[in-house]
Parts: sequence; structure tokens; C-alpha cells
Amino acid sequence: MSRYVLAARGGLLAALLLFGLLVNGMTSAVQVEAAPADALMPIEKYTTEKAKGLANTHRLRLIEFSEQIYNCMPWLAVYPGRLGFPRYKDSADDERYLSMWIWVDQREDPVFAALPQERRVSAMFSRYGVDMLRRMAALSDVVDDSDVAGLSVVLSWLKPGTTRPGQQAVNETFALFIDKATAADFLAKRVAAEEFVSRAKFNLFDGETLVGRVRLQVWEDSFNSTYKLSNYQPPKGAQCQ
Amino acid sequence: MRAWLSLASFLGGIVLLTSACATSEEWSEWRGHTTHFASGTHGMFSLRNNKDGSNPRVARTDVDAARAENWWGKAITVSPEQIFQN
Repeated sequence: MSRYVLAARGGLLAALLLFGLLVNGMTSAVQVEAAPADALMPIEKYTTEKAKGLANTHRLRLIEFSEQIYNCMPWLAVYPGRLGFPRYKDSADDERYLSMWIWVDQREDPVFAALPQERRVSAMFSRYGVDMLRRMAALSDVVDDSDVAGLSVVLSWLKPGTTRPGQQAVNETFALFIDKATAADFLAKRVAAEEFVSRAKFNLFDGETLVGRVRLQVWEDSFNSTYKLSNYQPPKGAQCQ
Repeated sequence: MRAWLSLASFLGGIVLLTSACATSEEWSEWRGHTTHFASGTHGMFSLRNNKDGSNPRVARTDVDAARAENWWGKAITVSPEQIFQN
């Protein structure tokens, strides 16, 4: 085999390898970035008629909701297929929650890293979780559906100190479920934060490991409803409040 | 013996108080901390439109691109089955 053929084969292999790396890098990069409609859980994935009915009935409303997050809160990303009506993992009946799983795009930060894990959870839930519950509760036509038992918000963020070169990053994930009456009373300040916490079902996960129920504190944090990314221009037609 | 117990309680109290103070300082610092959006810190945001950085505009696609460039690879995350049933 001539030197030129070998060189050409080598070049082709290198190009294929580079292409593979690029494709792999791109798919990694978009793992949590879903276009607004892709954020919705596909109807065929639901396992009960009740859930399929909810998904069908409220599809357009949830797409609007997803668009608002995508266009107006670029520091957040809804995981693909994770906006919908799942039920709690250990639920014996078919109680459906309006639920969304959000990734918070947060850089390594020494102030945040210095907080103990349960305080990081409290900080993230107070900052993003409560505001997302408020936004979901405002979807009155969805929440008032008698087949919706409650609200659920799941938050993931990079665990501090795990984004070093040569190390696989780890997400911390906090998942909370609350019945809709308590959610409404808490948001209207008729129920105190401590009572809200005692009634909620929630778990923390460190990577894939269940940490369980942690001591959660909830306080007022208006960041998510007031923050403006400087010079950011939402897409035309987007109405951001 | 009683004196030792009193001294131990006193020292324990001091340790608890000082650690509590440090924690509340960190706590309040975080509450006032609002500039931590990872993609928002990307340099390209100040370079768009004009080379001198004036009149910059950030579109949603810029955020996507910055996020892709800043990505650390696939992070280890809990599977949905550990949280939900469909």
C-alpha cells in the first residue's frame, strides 16, 4: 500500500474521530437545553389515562409556560421532557402533580460553595423553587383541574468543586412535591414556611445518590422574579414580566 | 469534676456561637449575591454588534452558545425514575 494511501486513510480516520468528538461534545452540551415544546413530557410516556388526559388538555398552556421560561429566564433550562404531570415515585395511587425539572445555570462560586449542602438546598429552593411554584400556581386553568393533586418542582445545579478538569461534574438535585391547597396557602402567606416544609414531600440527591430529606429553610428571595440579564433581548413577540 | 463539666460546657458554647455567627455571615452574603449566572458571564456578550462593545445585544441563541462552550461534559445526575413515576 502506498504512502499516500496510508496518509489519506490516516487523515480520514482523524477527521472521523474529530467529527465524533464534536458530535459527542454537542450532544453533551445540549443535554439540558430543550426547545420550549421539547420540554413537555411526551404523551405516549404516561402510563395512565388520567395522565394522558391532563397532558392532552393542557398541552398548549404548558408550551406557553415553557416558552416564557425559555425566552425570559435564560439562566434556567427545563430538562427535555420534564414538564408535565408525573406522580411521586412511591405513590400507590394515581395522584398527578404539575411538575417541572429545572437546571440552574450557575458558575462555581466561593460564597455558594462555602455553604453546607442543606443550606445550598435552602438557598436554591428559596431563590428558584418558590418562584417556580408561584408561576405554576398562576396557571389557574391547569392547577384547578380536579385531576391535578399538587405541584412539584425539581431543581438541579452543579455541585461546587466538581467542575475541575479531569473530573466528571456532579449535579445536586432537589425534588419537592406539595399538595395544591398547601401550595396556594403558602404562596398567599396563609401558611408559614415551617408548616409548608413539614407538609411537603422532598428529597435531595447528590449525583445519583439519595441523600434524603434534609433540613430545609425557606425565606423570601426575589432574585428570580427581578433579575435582568444585562443587554439581553428576548426573542421578538416574547412577553417577559 | 463539676468544674471540668462547666468548663467543657462553656467552651462548647463558645464553639457553637462562633460557628453560628460564621454561618449566618455566609448566609446573608449569599442572600445578597445575585451575579452568579454562568453563561451570563461569558465574554462574547460584550462583543456582539459593535467591536468596541457599545450597544451590545444578547440573544437567547447567544446564551445557548455560551452554555455549550462552558459545558463541563455530562454531569452525574439522578435518574428521573428515582423521583417520578410516569
